Amino acid sequence: MNLTHSKLGFGINRSRAGIIVVVALLAILFIIGIAVSDRFGTSRNLLNIYEQSTGLALVSLGQTLAVLTGGIDLSVGSVISLVSMLTSGLISGDQSMVIPVVIGVLALGLAIGAINGGVIIVMGVHPLIVTLGTGAIIQGIALLYGLGPIGKVPKGFDYFAYGRLPGGISFGATFTMLLFLLSAFLLARTKAGRYIYATGDDPHAATLMGLPTTRIIMLVYMLTGFCSALTGVYLVSRFGVGQPYTGANYTLASITPVVVGGTMLAGGRGGVIGTLLGVYLVSLLNNLLNFLGVSTHLQLVAQGLVIIAAVSVYVEKRRIA
Amino acid sequence: MAVAKAEDGLNRSAARKSFGMGEIVKRYGIYLFLVLAILVTTAISPAFVSGSNITNMLMQLAPLAVVVIGQTFVILVRGLDLSVASVMATAAVIATSFSGQDGAALTVLFASIAMGAATGLANGLLVTKRNVSPFLATLATMIVLQGFRFAATQGAPSGNVPPIFRLLGSGKFYGVPYNLMVMLVMAAIFAVLLHKAAFGRRVFITGGNPVTARLVGISADRVIIACYMICGGLAALAGLLLSGFVGVVDNFVGRGFELDSIVAAVMGGVALSGGRGTIPGALAGAAILVVLSNAVVMIGMPVQLQIIVKGVVIIVAASLYVRTAR
Repeated sequence: MNLTHSKLGFGINRSRAGIIVVVALLAILFIIGIAVSDRFGTSRNLLNIYEQSTGLALVSLGQTLAVLTGGIDLSVGSVISLVSMLTSGLISGDQSMVIPVVIGVLALGLAIGAINGGVIIVMGVHPLIVTLGTGAIIQGIALLYGLGPIGKVPKGFDYFAYGRLPGGISFGATFTMLLFLLSAFLLARTKAGRYIYATGDDPHAATLMGLPTTRIIMLVYMLTGFCSALTGVYLVSRFGVGQPYTGANYTLASITPVVVGGTMLAGGRGGVIGTLLGVYLVSLLNNLLNFLGVSTHLQLVAQGLVIIAAVSVYVEKRRIA
Repeated sequence: MAVAKAEDGLNRSAARKSFGMGEIVKRYGIYLFLVLAILVTTAISPAFVSGSNITNMLMQLAPLAVVVIGQTFVILVRGLDLSVASVMATAAVIATSFSGQDGAALTVLFASIAMGAATGLANGLLVTKRNVSPFLATLATMIVLQGFRFAATQGAPSGNVPPIFRLLGSGKFYGVPYNLMVMLVMAAIFAVLLHKAAFGRRVFITGGNPVTARLVGISADRVIIACYMICGGLAALAGLLLSGFVGVVDNFVGRGFELDSIVAAVMGGVALSGGRGTIPGALAGAAILVVLSNAVVMIGMPVQLQIIVKGVVIIVAASLYVRTAR
């Protein structure tokens, strides 16, 4: 019995709680939106919200996995920036370079993740500090590669960001949603997925039970690196060029949907579907505030308050740094 | 007999502990590293120890060190404060919001510190009463403060910092920067509070083991809230010093200080797991950050290497402490 839980009375501490809370918030915002403006509920606007969620969704998917193991990855923003620079810089407008470069940068994302995971395991340092350090190093490398926007990509590269499926549905957002569904399936149905939860719930117990915790941590950070790299490629597709600080805001932004979606920073609880809904919530909230004519400045306040509201409802099973 | 043997073993392991390499690295490693960094840089570039460069580094150190003192209190109680940079920028904006004359200086000072302490109170309440992780609680207050600041300034702060803050932030008294003096006074006050006063012992007990703290009758929640308020207040003060140093106020005065202050404290031996660390150690950590950033430029390496060196040092320093703690 969780003492804190019963004492506080209204704390929610069940695995599905995140999804329930986010769905409720989404519904409330949606109703407000329809009441406020006729154009809010149009399919055009909703498809727009859907499309704009892609970048945040991609990076948050990886972040969720790191957080599920009780860790965190603060290098995602730098990886996004470096990958975006390399993608447009190396392709440099050459159609034939697109496939090798994209494969190369995705492999780089995996490799950076392997370094993060390796340092966390071998050095025994908290992931927060390790990824803060590697994040600084990677940002420095991105700046050494170029101090401003660099390279260009051929026509058609923007399909990832702006491509449409039949019915005007965004290709990138749908691809991302399928990636989330696949991840949710793998987390629930594979051994590795269950081990991720076990490692996050109690790493010591998981090791004693003979679970391959070091390999799980390695795997998780590699996947986080991969998702960040994919986000970098997406941003090049969207903006047409790589920039040295293009990912900077994503580091902390990627945490919001994760925690709003009910994944506990202490690890072991939550899931990717909650995160996806958390991303839609952020996207919907920004769109709604635009309709309400709220200045972009106060939109920040609203986002901060949503984080506070959401995390105050959940009860963390224990505090972490 | 067996007892004597066991005691002997205990004594010996204690003796080994206090004189072993691990213990030396743990206690004095940071100072040795600071001296080493200074010596190596001087050997490569003698201009590093010129009077003007030293003054320059000390003036850069002062605002960071003030933040680091506060960050140390928070980390000691197993916390983390990401809102310090936002508090600094907000204090800087407050500094320009009044007449810009010295008459407004006291108002600015009190308003800023009150704002910082209030932010700390919000952080502390979220962490203790709602059990929100410090990372998230302070991330949220950081964003909220940033939004309010943007809304209040419409994105572009204007107005003047009262001249007395310009003097405190960038002036010198017989070659000694005023901001360094402010920093030293703060360091002395808070080092005494932490290492000599009853409050400090409560901080260490709370951070070392909150359950023990409760058992010996310490209100852990109150100690934790106090630490966040100290951190917020000091961050506000640092924001005023920095605005006086830079001279121009924008919405991002203090950007990067949240991470730098955490890094400096961790390098200085303040354990993220709480309950271990000292103010002098944390200040040495801050000094190393400033020395290394300066050294990169003095040695003639590309400026981008500053951030890479910083990253390497964080990881190496943190892993050294993990090793010696085992």
